[in-house]
Amino acid sequence: MTEPQATTGQQVLAPGHSMASITDKVSAIVLTRPVGKRWLFGFTLGFILTCVLFTTIANLLVTGVGIWGLNAPVGWGFDIINFVWWIGIGHAGTLISAILLLLRQNWRTSINRFAEAMTLFAVSCAGLYPLLHMGRPWFFYWLMPIPNTMELWPQWRSPLIWDVFAVSTYASVSALFWYVGLIPDLATLRDRTTSRLGRMVYGVLAMGWRNSAKHWHQYETAYNLLAGLCTPLVVSVHTVVSFDFAVGVVPGWHATVFPPYFVAGAIFAGFAMVLILCIPIRAVYGLQDFITMKHLENMGKILLATCLMVSYGYAMEIFTAFYTANTYEEYLMHNRLHGPYATSYYALWFCNLIVPQVLWFKWARTNVWVLFIVSLAVSVGMWLERFVIIVLSLSRDFMPSMWGQYRGTPWDWSMYVGTIGLFITLLFLFLRFLPVISIFEMRTLLPEAKVGDHGEHS
Amino acid sequence: MTPREIPIYGIVAEFASPADLLEAARATKQAGYTRTDAYSPLPIEGLAGAVGGGHSKLPVLVFLGGLIGGASGYLLQYYTAVHSYPFNIGGRPLHSWPAFIPVTFECTILGAALTAIFGMLALNGLPMPYHPLFHVGRFARASRDKFFLCIEARDPIFDAARTRAFLETLSPTAVEEVPS
Amino acid sequence: MASDGTTHGGTPAQQLSLINLLGAVLPIGLLAWAFAMNPPAALRSYLWAFCVVAAVPCGSLALLALQHLTGGAWGVTMRRPLEAAVRTLPLVALLFVPLALGAHILYPWANGSYTAPYPKSLYLNVPAFQLRAGVYFAVWIVLGTVLNYWSTRQDRENPPDFDRRFRLIAGPTLGLYGLTITFASIDWVMSLEPMWFSSIFGVLFGVGQILSAFVFAILMVLLFSDRPPLRGVIRAGHLRDYGSLLLAFVMIWMYLSISQFILIWSANLKEEAPYYVERSHGIWPIMAGLVVLAQFFTPFLVLLTRDGKRNARSLGWVAGMVLAARAAELYWFIAPARPVDHHTLLWSDLVALPALAGPWFLFFTWQLSRRPLLPLHVDPTPAEDHHG
Repeated sequence: MTEPQATTGQQVLAPGHSMASITDKVSAIVLTRPVGKRWLFGFTLGFILTCVLFTTIANLLVTGVGIWGLNAPVGWGFDIINFVWWIGIGHAGTLISAILLLLRQNWRTSINRFAEAMTLFAVSCAGLYPLLHMGRPWFFYWLMPIPNTMELWPQWRSPLIWDVFAVSTYASVSALFWYVGLIPDLATLRDRTTSRLGRMVYGVLAMGWRNSAKHWHQYETAYNLLAGLCTPLVVSVHTVVSFDFAVGVVPGWHATVFPPYFVAGAIFAGFAMVLILCIPIRAVYGLQDFITMKHLENMGKILLATCLMVSYGYAMEIFTAFYTANTYEEYLMHNRLHGPYATSYYALWFCNLIVPQVLWFKWARTNVWVLFIVSLAVSVGMWLERFVIIVLSLSRDFMPSMWGQYRGTPWDWSMYVGTIGLFITLLFLFLRFLPVISIFEMRTLLPEAKVGDHGEHS
Repeated sequence: MTPREIPIYGIVAEFASPADLLEAARATKQAGYTRTDAYSPLPIEGLAGAVGGGHSKLPVLVFLGGLIGGASGYLLQYYTAVHSYPFNIGGRPLHSWPAFIPVTFECTILGAALTAIFGMLALNGLPMPYHPLFHVGRFARASRDKFFLCIEARDPIFDAARTRAFLETLSPTAVEEVPS
Repeated sequence: MASDGTTHGGTPAQQLSLINLLGAVLPIGLLAWAFAMNPPAALRSYLWAFCVVAAVPCGSLALLALQHLTGGAWGVTMRRPLEAAVRTLPLVALLFVPLALGAHILYPWANGSYTAPYPKSLYLNVPAFQLRAGVYFAVWIVLGTVLNYWSTRQDRENPPDFDRRFRLIAGPTLGLYGLTITFASIDWVMSLEPMWFSSIFGVLFGVGQILSAFVFAILMVLLFSDRPPLRGVIRAGHLRDYGSLLLAFVMIWMYLSISQFILIWSANLKEEAPYYVERSHGIWPIMAGLVVLAQFFTPFLVLLTRDGKRNARSLGWVAGMVLAARAAELYWFIAPARPVDHHTLLWSDLVALPALAGPWFLFFTWQLSRRPLLPLHVDPTPAEDHHG
């Protein structure tokens, strides 16, 4: 703590690197490394699953949303569960790049690029669900406030329209933030590629970036401003997602703690996904010098902290049922504990509350296998959390005559697996064509980069 | 005054380290050169100031962008919900300001973020696919591990020979002319 | 340089104490009179003043744990004011005694104006209320004592790798604080309107306390910044960090408040909506507007600018304004609640705050003067100044 820069600077970048070696090592993944068997395997797997997704979507468009398991009391099912699940996963990327930048946590440098990419791909997968859930997705523009001959306007008191604004803003801003972060590295690739096509493509994308000091100054200002904007944005997005439920008066949905509890859950799930992706990628591409144990341990700590926040949310849900002495809230708790879906509730507790407790120990936070397994458990647990919130509340709300059961059909599952495939495909394309680590930010971690009068101007 | 023909864009010197470049840029400023720019593979604190940059209007622009975004978001909802399409939803007032907050907030962020990104590009004059410096072969390493300082020919006290000699005194690793 | 604090640290604190002593005696007498005249009203005033005062030491406990966890120069420079505030927790526990004894007069669920249904009555009853308060204070005092004791040991012996030890307890401290303050806020404030329930309230109350503690600590650092050992140590880097964190805290506070409001407004349920309906008449909407102005918009706009953050004067003004707004916000939470006449300000309010805050501040300054104003073996320089 007394010498944060000096000590963490060494830990987040293995010693012995120079500007040239960082540039060469990271850009080589894109420029010179041959297409490996493992990459080909991963991409093929993703591609096959993406075909499953396209088949499902085709069937959905031809037949209708009836191929999903939705029914009269349970009007939201896998589609909304997966929407919330994906969008939550996406949030970690923005948090890593924005909040940790504002907090001057330099360990974020080597994982932010790739976490932001993860955000984009996750948001793409998330966006598919509400779009297709509409039944007639070709009318999606009805959600937008566009003057029309029917003289209709959106209904601003509904959280669903807030969601449209929140998610589309989030998708556009995180795409642009990611692109802005890429510009200098695209220039590096433009200058280093030997292929003519590569020079053209990267050259166009780099927009003539020439590393001018004046440009860097504007660039850094813009980047910091964007980080400052993205932080409240990411919080607002999952808050609005939580509003989708909490504004409704269905038992178990209308809890004022939902906004912070959903945001914490999103970070929890998101960091788990970053770890799931980070651990194999650093091994396969030999990036252990850049994504060090320190990174993994810090992410483990964040997992633990958000696990406790999520636990607080669960505790408050139970306490609400008890304290309000409201019949429906009480029954909801009873239904969670003893109803037909009780297994999912217990499984969610096991995955989200019990398994991550192992992260209190340093040996667990520094063991890639433990981290990987905990992250998988958290991903499953957070999926189950949304399942419990959505399906349990809807299937048995106020009147027993309205109760029903819900289960996902094979098409629900194929859609879910398909979006995972889309995510994998996009991720592998990213690994292949863009620098997975921010090269220019890694350069700033080197000791020789620290010149100038920092105390005066920062 | 007769318009002077400018055969070259400027003279560029290459340096080995950020510290050398910063020192050179400060010396150049001291020598009275005003049309200069430095190029480095990473942002260097204080370097923009030494080459006549370092002041950004962006924060003010972004603030205004956010303000405009938020105001238009709110006015859009106000106009559509109160005037254009008044409709009773669950007995809520037409001007339901608490329900207008989320969309107003998102529009604020969108306005500010778009201003930050496109403002940065505009202030930097990007996209600019062609620039004379790209003619210099070794300049490609400005995006890898080398540091450059360019004194441009339009500088009032530029003189091909003397400027070159001046740059040589700053202990560069190379000095080259940039064709226009 | 830091060792100067042991000799000089007492002087300013003693000056502060004398003014305090004079100011505190009169309000205490008046408050006692108010108790004799109208016990429920006086207790309501007392509860408000207690919540205002308790916010600083309780919030300080959380902040102290937070700064041990995150590290950073901002935490090192405000560690001693925070520790001193935490050491006043036994006094705060003592100040709680009238509320524990007067619960059956003050709270509707205990004075007969509301009967809690079955499972809820297990929670809302006087013995359980007193027992829980005992647990809260026990937890806070134990954690505060451990953190303080280790800090003295660090000053005395400077054992190696002590930060790790702090971190080990700081995590659980934050967790326990979150849990206890949630239930404390339900017991002390939310149950004034026993039909009302908001599950975000504990978080809102806790963040409010942290905000109070943070601005109080900023004011203390600024107050002593031109005396040794802080003179020459506090730089623009520290002020900027304080400003950024304060900006974050006011944004979080606004976020939680507005979320609660939007959700309750939208759902419009008969158990919840009366809370805001009650507060939409008379002076309450104006007060809410002023609180939002003073606790969010003004700090937000001032701290957004670079100079607003780095200028000690503007930072001090913002901190003072937020501290005052915090008192107003707690008043807005507590005063409109039935059964006490809710459309008037009580004269006992005017005396209750000085009567509690005076002695507390006296005790605080005494505690502050007992140790050097800076930890002896921790570097208080902002990280980015190390290679400047």
